[in-house]
Amino acid sequence: MAMSKEELKKAIEEKALTSPKPQLYIKDFYACDPDTKPRDMKNVANEMVREGKLMFWSSGSTTMYAIPSRIKNEEGAGGIGNVE
Amino acid sequence: MAKRETPLLDQLESGPWPSFVTDIKRQAETKPECWDILGILELSYKERITHWKHGGIVGVFGYGGGIVGRYADVPELFPGVEHFHTIRVAQPASKYYTSANLRQLMALWEKYGSGMTNFHGSTGDIILLGTRTENLEPFFWDLTHDMGQDLGGSGSNLRTPANCIGESRCEWACYDTEEACHSMTIKYQDEIHRPAFPYKFKFKFSGCPNDCVASIARSDISVIGTWRDAIRIDQAAVKEYVAGNYPANGGAHSGKDWGKFDITKEVINLCPTDCMWMEGAELKIDDKECTRCMHCINVMPRALRPGLDKGASLCVGAKAPILDGAQFATLIIPFVKMSKDNDFEELVDFIEKVWDWWMEVGKNRERVGETMQRVGLPTFLSVMGVTPIPQHVKEPRSNPYIFWREEEVEGGFTRDIDEFRAKHKA
Repeated sequence: MAMSKEELKKAIEEKALTSPKPQLYIKDFYACDPDTKPRDMKNVANEMVREGKLMFWSSGSTTMYAIPSRIKNEEGAGGIGNVE
Repeated sequence: MAKRETPLLDQLESGPWPSFVTDIKRQAETKPECWDILGILELSYKERITHWKHGGIVGVFGYGGGIVGRYADVPELFPGVEHFHTIRVAQPASKYYTSANLRQLMALWEKYGSGMTNFHGSTGDIILLGTRTENLEPFFWDLTHDMGQDLGGSGSNLRTPANCIGESRCEWACYDTEEACHSMTIKYQDEIHRPAFPYKFKFKFSGCPNDCVASIARSDISVIGTWRDAIRIDQAAVKEYVAGNYPANGGAHSGKDWGKFDITKEVINLCPTDCMWMEGAELKIDDKECTRCMHCINVMPRALRPGLDKGASLCVGAKAPILDGAQFATLIIPFVKMSKDNDFEELVDFIEKVWDWWMEVGKNRERVGETMQRVGLPTFLSVMGVTPIPQHVKEPRSNPYIFWREEEVEGGFTRDIDEFRAKHKA
């Protein structure tokens, strides 16, 4: 049975906090719950971006997800909705 | 920002062709940061290494695409390009603009950006090159609120769909490409603005097999107009072409004397499937052999027209990568009806089936065409629920059994070859 949305968010956050690299592909989150469909996983990850728990990192051709504090330390620049 | 000395770049202005260096110097008269574009490029030419960092985390609130972060790795040398982000703006269907719209867009970009553009990018959208992070939200507000335009796709999103001019100006369009492109753009707003996939994904819509948006070469799902009945022939017009009274190719290529029009040499013998011939003064076509190459229709547009039972073929898997060469799309669905009346139902069903499979099976940074190649076409067809047809077989055409699974073969794969050959010579 697939995880609840809140359980999934917790698992995604944990994965993004503890992974060796700060940026993760959407597919990297699939392992958090193999029973969650890819589209649902994408929707949850995007919801977490809107909540400020995750942030996008884009090379232009690929988009990845990251914990804002981890990626900002690495990039040292403003991000989505952050125009300081 | 000071003017930069650019002796290496200056050489690019010495040829007879237009130079981007000249364009940027002209822009630098009003936007001095453009001198730093030339400066950083000159440095890269000298050091043979790029001075742009790879990607970034910038964007506008609620969107996960449309903005590409670009930073210089030597901002102390070139402060004008410390931030030089790219903005992608969705183009109107068929790229029809009013001059008022273009002026407004350019005024907006002069206000918030460098003024430099790439019109259009190879995806088809408007590329605005060079702005700072603090300008992104104000630009986005003005673009969406004052102009009613939106950002396009970037990153692992559905990219801005693009289409040919279709029925708006072209008699050969087999479906309304503008309506299809617009409908899919609206339907898939979430996929355009928020990353969903292992990598980029592109749709392109061409109204006929001439494929004026080159969808077969550069889109993951290529929707190409076609027909499934007979090419319409006006025999009286064929006679006029043969008599030389109508110019071939609608008068194109008329800058040179090609001699008298020869229907055998210029049309019949060039048919890739040999499906045309003359019977007396009449042109005949074996339509079931026609491969929709469009050559005969292009040469004699007043005599030949696409049939009346129109729709589209769906091809999957094109890409144009820098490193390992281009790949054309593969024909998967020979014919679907394309109608707004049923919200392009057959197309939508197919798109979502491809996405569901690719999101699960595709590796990171793998285009759907590469996933198809990796698993093999028979597996892809099986997953899509498509019955194999000879047109799916690239080579050898004489060996279609490669599609069969053991359970589909009477007796499995262990039949006695000698017994089989006794009845069927190799």
